[in-house]
Amino acid sequence: MSTILQDIESQISALKTTTVQTNTGVVRECGDGVAKIEGLSDVMLNEMIEFPGGLIGLALNLEENEVGCILMGDSTAVKEGDIVKTTGRLLSVPVGKGLLGRVVDVLGQPLDGKGPIPSDILYPVEKIAPSIIKRKGVNQPVQTGIMAIDAMIPIGRGQRELIIGDRATGKTTIAIDTMINQARMNKTFAGQEGFRPIYNIYVAIGQKNSNIARILDVLREAGALEYTIIVAAAASDSATNQYLAPFSGAAMGEWFMDNGMDALIIFDDLSKHAVAYRQVSLVLKRPSGREAYPGDVFYLHSRLLERSARVNEKNGNGSLTALPIVETQAGDVSAYIPTNVISITDGQIYLETDLFYQGVRPAISVGLSVSRVGSAAQIKAIKQVAGKVKGELAQFRELAAFAQFGSDLDAATKARLERGGRIVELFKQRQYNPITVEEQVAVLWAIQNGHMDDVAVDRIKEMQAKLQEFLTTRKRKLLETIRTAGAISKELNDELAATLVEFKSTWK
Amino acid sequence: MKVSKDARKLSRSLFRSSFTGGRLDRARVEAVLKVVAARKPRHTLETLKDYERLVRMELARRHALIESATALDPAASESILRDLKSRFGEDITHEIKINPALIGGIRVQLGSDVWDGSINGRLELLRSKL
Repeated sequence: MSTILQDIESQISALKTTTVQTNTGVVRECGDGVAKIEGLSDVMLNEMIEFPGGLIGLALNLEENEVGCILMGDSTAVKEGDIVKTTGRLLSVPVGKGLLGRVVDVLGQPLDGKGPIPSDILYPVEKIAPSIIKRKGVNQPVQTGIMAIDAMIPIGRGQRELIIGDRATGKTTIAIDTMINQARMNKTFAGQEGFRPIYNIYVAIGQKNSNIARILDVLREAGALEYTIIVAAAASDSATNQYLAPFSGAAMGEWFMDNGMDALIIFDDLSKHAVAYRQVSLVLKRPSGREAYPGDVFYLHSRLLERSARVNEKNGNGSLTALPIVETQAGDVSAYIPTNVISITDGQIYLETDLFYQGVRPAISVGLSVSRVGSAAQIKAIKQVAGKVKGELAQFRELAAFAQFGSDLDAATKARLERGGRIVELFKQRQYNPITVEEQVAVLWAIQNGHMDDVAVDRIKEMQAKLQEFLTTRKRKLLETIRTAGAISKELNDELAATLVEFKSTWK
Repeated sequence: MKVSKDARKLSRSLFRSSFTGGRLDRARVEAVLKVVAARKPRHTLETLKDYERLVRMELARRHALIESATALDPAASESILRDLKSRFGEDITHEIKINPALIGGIRVQLGSDVWDGSINGRLELLRSKL
């Protein structure tokens, strides 16, 4: 009680001193989340404008005689004649570790009912990306726990890797699996020397509230929520909130990057983000271009994704990895927004509906997926075993058409087909089941050295599961050696061979 | 009302021609109105309404509104006006009003800038901060 009185007294004494100068305007038109204001002679671009009732707007259109302002929140109380004033501030959000484990909206206000967010640092939502001099090359891996990705399309800390595919192909699932694996690794290696934990930020743009609730449950059950910030701008939120949510998330990620930590941010999804921006631009009467998107929709995504980077020691010594998600229609990657985002990111993971329904899940198309950072972001061990896998799968796909003529092929072709079929089977993985990097190395080593050639294709998954169980229960030292050594030496090679022989003697 | 592009263009050019030496000129405004009444261009009503809006905003930019809770001492209002004119130009029009809603103190508005020293203003500030 006494602190409240002290607060009021300090506020009153602060107000006693001077006259307050403000710059005001009058609302002349309001509708569709946009208000047109007369006056506001000192307004600046992107400045926060205060409406009566505490509503905040952003001045986006500075015209000769009026200001176009987008409203962040419920605009039903705004009417013509309302007096608004400038605040002199750019839109900022609270950042810091106090946000971990929380669900917040665009302005950083809590949505999960767990009380106020403990944070005293504010970062601007719109910020210029780190320049060339401030950056460092990407060479630390982000282990997604999904074998297909870690082996063939490896992601590094500070990279932007696009996840692109039709609806219901498993895009969000890959993102969630990655987050769960980061949380698991954070817990397992907490405090160990040289280990840098990765914090997750999941930005939900235009999604159903039920979807966001489901993702929250999954993360909580997997114990990943304590390392995750969820920024939610659901489908029922205003277009302004959906437009600004990714930038808020990026600001929260930049705090980790500037303070020597690594963060992973997932934008789910940027197609809905572009649609929200299109709505905002059209209501502001900005000229439209292809598919009615405004002319600067490329700049919208490029300035967002360029903020994900790895910075050098002098400029923060951290990194922000981005996994944007884009949804295509009928597999058309040459549409406007997908091509835009593909040209911005450092690679893409392309998910195909056909593969999904054939049972290949994650439905990653090895031919069309690429990571431009590539093996620079892999530990040596994985590079040694997985280096050839992509090529072998490519050959398998080429020859797959001949698979029907089984008996008419030469031995080498048959061997490739057999091996390829087993690799495809091996890369199938259940959701929420990340595999540690050392187990991946062991399993891939086994298949590359022919230990799975005599196993029927439909028993490959069974063998993999049993092998992993065997390794984690009885061969922990071997796994530890693989993880710490980083590369497969001759001794390790021999040890792996002996282990596989021992395993196959117990498993038929 | 929705003003068409042509009407907006015309009203803007009429507005620009109503200025002499950077300030709105009454004689020119009257001349513009006479011409529009005589020639009756297409979209006359829209053009005139938009022209009126532009002139209104320009006049408001140079109009000072001095409000106080009780009747202001003429010397005080004189000094405020002198201050405003020396800072923003001699051509400022002014209006002195009594507004009991302010409770106490003075509120001066010139165009978009507001200097609020009234008690009501401080109460509003307190309310928004809490």
